[in-house]
Amino acid sequence: MANWDEVDEALEDYTVSCNTNERLRKMQRDWTRMLHFVCNDTSDTFSMDVQAGEIVSTSQGHTGVPDIVVTTDSETFCDMFWGDINPMPKYLRGEIQVRGSQEDIMRIDAISYVIWPDA
Amino acid sequence: MSGGDTPSTLTDHHPHHLRRSVGTVTATATSAGLAFAAINFIGVVSVATFAAGSSAWLAILIGGLLAFVVSGVFSELNGMWPTAAGVRLYISSAFGVRAALIITLTYMTTVILVIAADAFLIGAAIQHVLDEPPALAYVWILALLVIATLLNLRGITMAGRVQSIVTYTVLAGTVLLSIVALTKPGIVPETPFALFGNGVMSGFQAIAFALFLFAAFEWVTTTAEEARKPSVITRALFIGPVLIWLAATAFALGLDHLVPKDVAHGSAYPQLLLGQAALGRVGVIWMLGVTVLTAINTFNGGFLVASRFVYAAAREGNLPRSFAKLNMRAVPWLAVVVLAAVSAVVGALVFATGRWLLLVAVGAALEASVFAIASAALLKLRRTSDRHRPFRLWAGPAVAGFGAVLFAGLALASGFSDPEIPTQFSAAPALIVLGLGAVSTVYVLFVVPRLHRAAAARRAAARASGERVRRRPQRPA
Repeated sequence: MANWDEVDEALEDYTVSCNTNERLRKMQRDWTRMLHFVCNDTSDTFSMDVQAGEIVSTSQGHTGVPDIVVTTDSETFCDMFWGDINPMPKYLRGEIQVRGSQEDIMRIDAISYVIWPDA
Repeated sequence: MSGGDTPSTLTDHHPHHLRRSVGTVTATATSAGLAFAAINFIGVVSVATFAAGSSAWLAILIGGLLAFVVSGVFSELNGMWPTAAGVRLYISSAFGVRAALIITLTYMTTVILVIAADAFLIGAAIQHVLDEPPALAYVWILALLVIATLLNLRGITMAGRVQSIVTYTVLAGTVLLSIVALTKPGIVPETPFALFGNGVMSGFQAIAFALFLFAAFEWVTTTAEEARKPSVITRALFIGPVLIWLAATAFALGLDHLVPKDVAHGSAYPQLLLGQAALGRVGVIWMLGVTVLTAINTFNGGFLVASRFVYAAAREGNLPRSFAKLNMRAVPWLAVVVLAAVSAVVGALVFATGRWLLLVAVGAALEASVFAIASAALLKLRRTSDRHRPFRLWAGPAVAGFGAVLFAGLALASGFSDPEIPTQFSAAPALIVLGLGAVSTVYVLFVVPRLHRAAAARRAAARASGERVRRRPQRPA
């Protein structure tokens, strides 16, 4: 079980990785979404505001109306944000649950794939 | 059957609604739109071919009632795993990961069959209306597939509202023209209740083909993650088949009233024949419009579902990594291009052989098999899984057991049918389905382990070279 500081540290690294990846920024240039995250083991929640492919802010708790809600355990979130796991198998096994359109689900995975193709 | 609006686990965790979510009207349109393709017009003709006299409507009614069994089964399973990856999850939970992969890979070939069949049927309809040489039909088939591919590669998908308008226009257009046809003087219906008049097997085959008219309505479960609440998908699963039943029944009655069976049977565009008989040139253009509109749903939904399935399988390591390659619009371009190419080849084969009815029989056998497997999965999961069920099928074990046996029987009935010469048996559809299943099995048993080993070796080499290290900091002891 990861505490909030660990999740936050992972999230910061993820934000930098996403925002500095030119290919990803170009690919996601038409993607503006509010994402909500739920750690189902610690009950921690956080939000991510993506504007035209750039993560403009992340914050603890839920802000705004979400386009996507991602739920899994805190360890998986940390591993996913650090790029240490490929989230797709966990999604296909039902260990990561997502609410949102199929295209948005695809985009979230595409972010991990573009940044860490060998995860 | 019972069901409620109990929130899913996800909703329990997260009380907020999504900014964009799918409601009952859109979900129902998705369900009915995915099922009601151009191939359904040929499907109705196939039902009428096996049903004695004017009893096609009765076969379609029974097919619709059986579709409700499927609705119940998928509603319970979808409530347990409300995700686009649902089918994989139900089957792997019931029968294991390998079986799930084999079955879903085979299942996805249905999408290619439907896309290819629709491309052929729409191409043939356009060629007929424009009075062009038959060879030009294939040009139309290719043109349709190229347009669909380009739209997909550009990441253009249809908004839910547009999809709803298209679906309800197709259904209403079909029903309305059929009603007009029924008001015209025509053929007096004979033996409307003699479904088994050509023999028990023939009647059973008519029901198997009638069930095919509803094929793919259950794919609405792939939109479960964007549904406002789980009950939206349940409602769509029960209302969608009613709409399909209405359109198919109206079309069957209209066709029976104005177009002789032998004329409809030999045609790749019976809907245009009905249009011609009902309203002349206006009716032909009307039904051509309806036919072209069905392509929007088929190509939009079919390409999307299949290409994203291929992408996910490649990301998981079950298909070559190149299938996960994304273009600058985050579209898995290779998956889309290969799907289109395979559809074009299948379309060419249908065009060259003229055996479009075989495609209907293969589709009917595949779909009934999937319904049987889903029913069997539910039967097993009732014993082995205590997962939360927002919807619980009334008399679940009995209904699912009945479904598993009956759908397996219907799969055999269509698998050993010859819709071209209904008095004969043919093993061709069953052999094609078995062939597809065998290819999937060999692939999963022998190729997938190799892909996994190669991926593991790649990761190990990257770690050894220092190119790929665990990035997450170690926790202090």
